Amino acid sequence: MTLSHAQPITELLDVETVQSIADEVWPSLVGDGEAFVPVPVAPPAEVVSAWVTISGPWNGAVVLTCAPATAAALTENVLMTRPPTVVDDEDVADALGELANVLGGNIKSVLPGPSALGLPQIGTAPPTGRLDDVRRLTGQWRGQSLTISVQGVTVAPHTERNEVPQQ
Amino acid sequence: MRALVIDDSRAMRRIVGTILKDFGYEVREAGDGRQALDVLEEGFTPDLCCIDWNMPVMDGLQFVMAVRANPAHRQVTLMMVTTESETGQIVKALAAGAHEYLIKPFTADAMRDKLALLGLLPEEVSA
Repeated sequence: MTLSHAQPITELLDVETVQSIADEVWPSLVGDGEAFVPVPVAPPAEVVSAWVTISGPWNGAVVLTCAPATAAALTENVLMTRPPTVVDDEDVADALGELANVLGGNIKSVLPGPSALGLPQIGTAPPTGRLDDVRRLTGQWRGQSLTISVQGVTVAPHTERNEVPQQ
Repeated sequence: MRALVIDDSRAMRRIVGTILKDFGYEVREAGDGRQALDVLEEGFTPDLCCIDWNMPVMDGLQFVMAVRANPAHRQVTLMMVTTESETGQIVKALAAGAHEYLIKPFTADAMRDKLALLGLLPEEVSA
């Protein structure tokens, strides 16, 4: 394991850039007219997270967190399902993971490179590293709380992928 | 027109596939590069492959190289559809034999523009 001595994410990425990426991702994946609104609402008691790791000069993860019900609603939109079709846990993992993947890929593109993106994961968000190595955008979609967290780790993340890192 | 959509995300396969079907394509799907090669070996002959980059088992770049190394598949047009948006990655994919590059997130109009550039937009759609 390698200790990270990179610049903190707060010196590399501002919240406006995260918002602009979310502004592109939501209409494309969640649906026409859909938006990540950067107005915080009360956080849910129970949450689920999807994330991708970034490995390079900066090491960390891009984490999307929301309530399970919000994750299911996002999934219905991403998959364009309509009642009576019910999304299952696998659907939610796939759709929320792809949202994190597209957010993470676009955030990676504005960070110093070369960097590699890990495959999407879902569950309990990974722990953050240094307290100053977190850039967090809190907002809502359809009135439900959402958080996009770009957070460093103290060790280089394990990337589950078979891709050759960028040269 | 026939297309093979290669992405480990079922959600993204559905999004890309829906757009292509709206353009009149017959669409098949594969969850990684290895599965996609199997589909080609079964005899499916797509006009277009839409290829994610980051996938387990065999990633998109490895798939492009494998297809380009097989003369039997030289007619197929390869388009990367990926979050990998750095110039170095785009150059690497094009050098390996990809014809076009579409960065996620994208719109149906962006897909239409790419297909038009490639000459793969059915006439009834482009009219």
